[in-house]
Amino acid sequence: MGALSVSAFLDDAVTIVHGPDGCTHINTSLLHTTLLEHDIYTIPRIISSGLGEEEVIFGGEEALAEAIALACSSRPSAVCVISTCVTETIGDDTAAVCARDWDVPVVHIESSGFLGGTFHSGYNSALFALADFIEPSPSHDRGVNLIGEKNLEFEVEANYAEVARLLGTLGLEVHVRFVRNVSPAKIREMGGGCLNVMRDDPQGILSSHFDALTGIPSIPAFPAGLAGTLAFLEEAGRLTGTDASDAVREEETRQEELAAEFSDLAGACIAFDNFGFQSAGNDLFEEIAGHLGIHVAPEGTVIPVPFCMPVGTFGIRAMLRQWRRFIDGQAM
Amino acid sequence: MKQIALYGKGGIGKSTTSANLSAALADTGCDVMQIGCDPKHDSTRMLMHGRWIPTVLDLVREKGDKIGVGEVVFEGYGGVRCVEAGGPEPGIGCAGRGIIATFQLLQKLDALYGDVILYDVLGDVVCGGFAMPMREGYAQEIYLVTSGEFMSLYAANNICKAIARLSKRSKARCALGGVICNAKNIPGEEELVREFAELVGSRLIAYVPRAQVVQIAEVNQQTVIEFAPDSAQAMVYRQLAETIQTNTETSIPTPLEMHELETLARKHIPV
Repeated sequence: MGALSVSAFLDDAVTIVHGPDGCTHINTSLLHTTLLEHDIYTIPRIISSGLGEEEVIFGGEEALAEAIALACSSRPSAVCVISTCVTETIGDDTAAVCARDWDVPVVHIESSGFLGGTFHSGYNSALFALADFIEPSPSHDRGVNLIGEKNLEFEVEANYAEVARLLGTLGLEVHVRFVRNVSPAKIREMGGGCLNVMRDDPQGILSSHFDALTGIPSIPAFPAGLAGTLAFLEEAGRLTGTDASDAVREEETRQEELAAEFSDLAGACIAFDNFGFQSAGNDLFEEIAGHLGIHVAPEGTVIPVPFCMPVGTFGIRAMLRQWRRFIDGQAM
Repeated sequence: MKQIALYGKGGIGKSTTSANLSAALADTGCDVMQIGCDPKHDSTRMLMHGRWIPTVLDLVREKGDKIGVGEVVFEGYGGVRCVEAGGPEPGIGCAGRGIIATFQLLQKLDALYGDVILYDVLGDVVCGGFAMPMREGYAQEIYLVTSGEFMSLYAANNICKAIARLSKRSKARCALGGVICNAKNIPGEEELVREFAELVGSRLIAYVPRAQVVQIAEVNQQTVIEFAPDSAQAMVYRQLAETIQTNTETSIPTPLEMHELETLARKHIPV
């Protein structure tokens, strides 16, 4: 599912799930449902290599070759082949079939859950595989690449808009969104970017790969928190040789305006509930609460913590509107 | 109906032993079925006078599940009904799954009947698929074919582990019926294999000496029973058939630890 959440956003491409129809069905159904929740009504082209008992016994490589040939016949921009548990278990050489001489680029994305794979490892695997499209560039002056946007997160476009706005205050434009409604042709140009910004790469897995591949400096995550947003601007300025002082001052002003906009929350008492699994850390929420004069204590109004930190100053504003609803609701 | 399976290290002579055993049993008037459970599909070839019979899996591939018993079961020497499971080409697919699919089909076709069904199974029990003959109540007596070579005993010991594990399951009724020494004519070999059999809680039921007549019969695409019925080797196979036919002694094996196996080998093999 992690791999599919990336490959489905490659423009005009076809994804083949190399495995039984059931594997394709369950993942595609989940993807479609999630896309509909996001008001995305374009159904990505996903097909199954349709492995049955015969292919499991005798090998599924030819079934895959037939599926690739079928996919190629519609002249897509690329074909992404996602392997599954079954094909890895029986030892299909999926990479070798993908490497045959096809009319369109065929990309193999290794994604077998039983090898310890999670949503995240499939997502990373897809990003690494599609990075093969990137071509080296002698110059790095064509804007900022955004790498690994979480296509299935509800705020994906709002987060993009906020990062684009922040980069705009530095005079920088977004060059390539890798991989968000982007074509292989556009990915080829990624090497000309001046900065790579990862959506969320705390362990540096993506950064180290793309730094080495593109020779472009990178920032490991979208901006989060008040001070974090200012630090993002400073770091982006430093890495691109841009003076960020004006942009930082402007953003500080916005953050002060934010405090004024939510001054009615000053003095409220809240507690954070992360449901035991949310990845966002409480320290950044406490920073925001402190900025607005909100107390954090166990007896306070329970605020559900979002799965990921809101992005930038405007992301914080959207979150504070939610906090207000909870606090006001408690008061009523 | 007696259902037996022969297991042992690859190349140890399981198919030769199986085919001669089936032929000897058939000569006593038994209705015998031999099922080759190996993608190499050469288990029944000597019974079929060198003919490579179509495999179950090839037929399923060609015709789907619309196949009849007559298309997968072939009559060989002495009326032995021969079946080859078949499987993928080397290096691709999943042969173990092929064995499971074959058993399911034979069951569906009501093809598993007779006085004796003999399953000739590939090498070690490398995966769950190759344990299928021991599962679901198919083979109830397992016979280990081994020589006195260390790696052959090592494989036999591993098969003991599989039998011990599977015998605990509710549907499985498999147990070790005995050990067959298919000799390489190593000095002290019979004593070594006999002691191995006793240490794992079983017994040596036959010592099959290495004899050139086996190769000559194979070149002539026949079992020894058919090619040289009066030979001493044919007598050995007949004796084996009688022993198995009348055998009522089975055991749940107690596999050896590696160091025990090594100690045993050092005791019998001059170093």
